[in-house]
Amino acid sequence: MKTIDCRNMACPLPVVTVKRALEESPGEALKVLLDDGAPRENVTRFALTRGFSVDEAELDGGYAILISGAAGETLAIKRQKSGETVMLIASDRLGDGPEELGRLLMKNFINTLVEMPEAPDRILFINTGVQMATEGSEVLEALEKLGNRGMEIASCGVCLDFFSCKDKLRAGTVTNMFTIVESMLKAGLVIRV
Amino acid sequence: MVKDGDFIAIFNNIHRVMKAEKILKEKRLSMLLIPAPRALKSDCGLAIRYAEADRNAIEGQLGEADLAPEEIYRKDGEEFTRIDAPSE
Repeated sequence: MKTIDCRNMACPLPVVTVKRALEESPGEALKVLLDDGAPRENVTRFALTRGFSVDEAELDGGYAILISGAAGETLAIKRQKSGETVMLIASDRLGDGPEELGRLLMKNFINTLVEMPEAPDRILFINTGVQMATEGSEVLEALEKLGNRGMEIASCGVCLDFFSCKDKLRAGTVTNMFTIVESMLKAGLVIRV
Repeated sequence: MVKDGDFIAIFNNIHRVMKAEKILKEKRLSMLLIPAPRALKSDCGLAIRYAEADRNAIEGQLGEADLAPEEIYRKDGEEFTRIDAPSE
């Protein structure tokens, strides 16, 4: 049984670390050392919602939580059933209202995605949304990080052409409406932003 | 979005943080508007991130524009260390 020490970690790092450890060794029990309070509550909730059994014991300066069960399977099945999560970003602004605020919110939205333990499987940019992935965009660093985590990034070719920025694409690939429609129809969840 | 050693400025006001970003961009200073790390309390949920090398230029510009951050932190490992003097 593997033991990981997540004491002194700031949230959401304990959950992220535990999730990774569980994914690395599916089926194997895992002992996690945690601080009391939010880390203990978050990790316990995370494990229980994914179908694991949780036992805990108090220890000097924290808690030892034993996560066991065959939830590795449950996770895989759940994923298969639900399909991919596809995010469609159809603007360089989030919401209606002042342009400046909308741009700021979109930027903050994408930067916040990076901080989430679960990113979408695919992000599709259309219309002015493609400007998020082209030269001068302020979220290229975030998109690169998301790309490194396995998220697929694609921008609408017609849109890039319209804005004359096909040669300025700096994140992900060029796609077309066939692929966009297909991935939306096949997805388990489409989030339209 | 925050590396070890990065500086984080918190403004606690959306208009101030937007103004700060605008001014720093105009001066072509290297920084990024980011979601404020959860470990830090920020009313508007936004913060400005910059590297130590740009610290003097950035904090100088903000001071001149009367936009001194409410709080400044440095990321040290998993912790954030407050590095400005807490207001009296």
